Amino acid sequence: MKLSLNVRKNFGTFSLATDFTVDGNRVGIFGPSGSGKSTLVSMVAGLVTPDDGEIVLDGEILFSSRSGINQRPDRRRIAMVFQNHGLFEHLNVNNNLRYGLKRCAVEHRRIDLEKLVEVLHIGHLLDRGVNNLSGGEKQRVAIGRAVLSNPRLLLMDEPLSALDDALRFQIIGYLNAVSSEFGIPYLFISHSLLEMRLMADEVVSVEQGRITSRGTADEVARSRLGSSPVGYINLLKLGRPIQAAGLYHYPWGKSGLLLSVDSGREETLVELSSKDIMLFKRHPEAISARNLLACTVRSLFGSGRKVGVELECGGETLIAEIVCDAAIELSIEPGTVVYAAIKASAFRMLPS
Amino acid sequence: MFLTSTDLQAIWLTVRLAAIVTVILVLVGTPIAWWLARTGSRLKGAISAVVALPLVLPPSVLGFYLLLAMGPNGPVGQFTTALGIGTLPFTFWGLVLASVIYSLPFMVQPLQNAFESIGPQPLEVAATLGASPLDAFFTVAVPLARPGFLTASILTFAHTVGEFGVVLMIGGNIPGVTRVAAVQIYDHVEAMEYSNAHGMAAVLLIFSFLVLLVLYVWKPNSRNIVRRG
Repeated sequence: MKLSLNVRKNFGTFSLATDFTVDGNRVGIFGPSGSGKSTLVSMVAGLVTPDDGEIVLDGEILFSSRSGINQRPDRRRIAMVFQNHGLFEHLNVNNNLRYGLKRCAVEHRRIDLEKLVEVLHIGHLLDRGVNNLSGGEKQRVAIGRAVLSNPRLLLMDEPLSALDDALRFQIIGYLNAVSSEFGIPYLFISHSLLEMRLMADEVVSVEQGRITSRGTADEVARSRLGSSPVGYINLLKLGRPIQAAGLYHYPWGKSGLLLSVDSGREETLVELSSKDIMLFKRHPEAISARNLLACTVRSLFGSGRKVGVELECGGETLIAEIVCDAAIELSIEPGTVVYAAIKASAFRMLPS
Repeated sequence: MFLTSTDLQAIWLTVRLAAIVTVILVLVGTPIAWWLARTGSRLKGAISAVVALPLVLPPSVLGFYLLLAMGPNGPVGQFTTALGIGTLPFTFWGLVLASVIYSLPFMVQPLQNAFESIGPQPLEVAATLGASPLDAFFTVAVPLARPGFLTASILTFAHTVGEFGVVLMIGGNIPGVTRVAAVQIYDHVEAMEYSNAHGMAAVLLIFSFLVLLVLYVWKPNSRNIVRRG
């Protein structure tokens, strides 16, 4: 999917002006509330008309103020998943799912309803009214309905922000399953950096109606290491743990990690803040932290008043943060061997 | 039986009038209500005021102007004469036209409220799923506004049944053609036929009470109209 968005729109005191092209199938639009990201995607969908500019999707002009082109939203083949599901209350789940499918030209139909129902686990809900669904079920049906309209682009406007943490990760799992199964390109809009890292390959950051940066989700996270109160969040994929002296040993890299909690799962995603990693120049013979990893410094990067240290630990990567003075004292440079100490309780397990 | 044959004739005429007016107003009032609910036009205030006029205008004033308009020198009268229908005052269809105008706010306002309460999102969702504006209107807006349609139709029907002033001005008092229930009661009272007047009045009283009872007790909402399968 290649999308060019060169548009301007004024709303009283707020103005939105962007000029960028994205080329990829998993694109994130990232920014705080009120930054203009929802307006941006509404323009792509055709629900908001720009004051002037041009929107081009895969070579086809959707909007052009100069040529007087403004394709109607129902002709763009761009589906949208809204923050609050937007299911039709007068239709049951089955008819909600089929709404877009029925209106899709036969030559564009390639997604099988039964297959999608299976991927989203909504088969048992088909005859229900939408008011008899839980929040997570509603959002799964809404995603299914949008995907079944066989769009060439799927817009997701904060689809997880109305859900609690456990449901968010459950839906992320479903979204990734749908994305890999059916391969529909999408624009994922969120104010959550974590969601960006789990859902998007390329991220466009928006602030106050302007594009402020472009890059991978990881690059955005690294650039915010110095300004974010939680530092950089390392996302570690861990295997099934075994009990070891009151703690749990998870396979990770060459040596593994000791955590204080049991996931009970075959695979677990855990968060570890760059602030929770302490670096030693030499091996400290005895410390209270239960994880002491020998690492090689791969690179250093500045972010605000902090220095981010990219470490290579037994084939895996960790980002730690230190202040400038510490970097000088430790005389850290790429290739230096350091020891990273992490408490067993510093890890936060993400719901599956 | 306390109702005479002319009473029954008047009731039948009234029911026929109210039913035809309700059907016409669903067709005419729906686009007006839809436009008023969705427009950002500056004309919205003026059009809303015109639609609401029959609520406050004395029926005799409305009836007077309608009589002039439908008369041989009025624009409507000249139009109907040109069509070969003749003039409308003192005919059943004259009564229908007058009632449509008189009951317009009872159809438009509940419908407008119903459309406004749906909000723009369901229609935007429908558009992104490939539904044209007309398609979305019939498959999303109308079903979601179904309670509003029921309320508006019941109110319009009941209000037309209870008409008196406009009917008297436009239709006069021709048995079987323009003599509706309310006028029949007036006739009975004028002729001192109080027992007959009682009979007709009781019918209208009970009818009006039942209509309001239905509206207040049974609140239709979208949850019990979910379509299965």
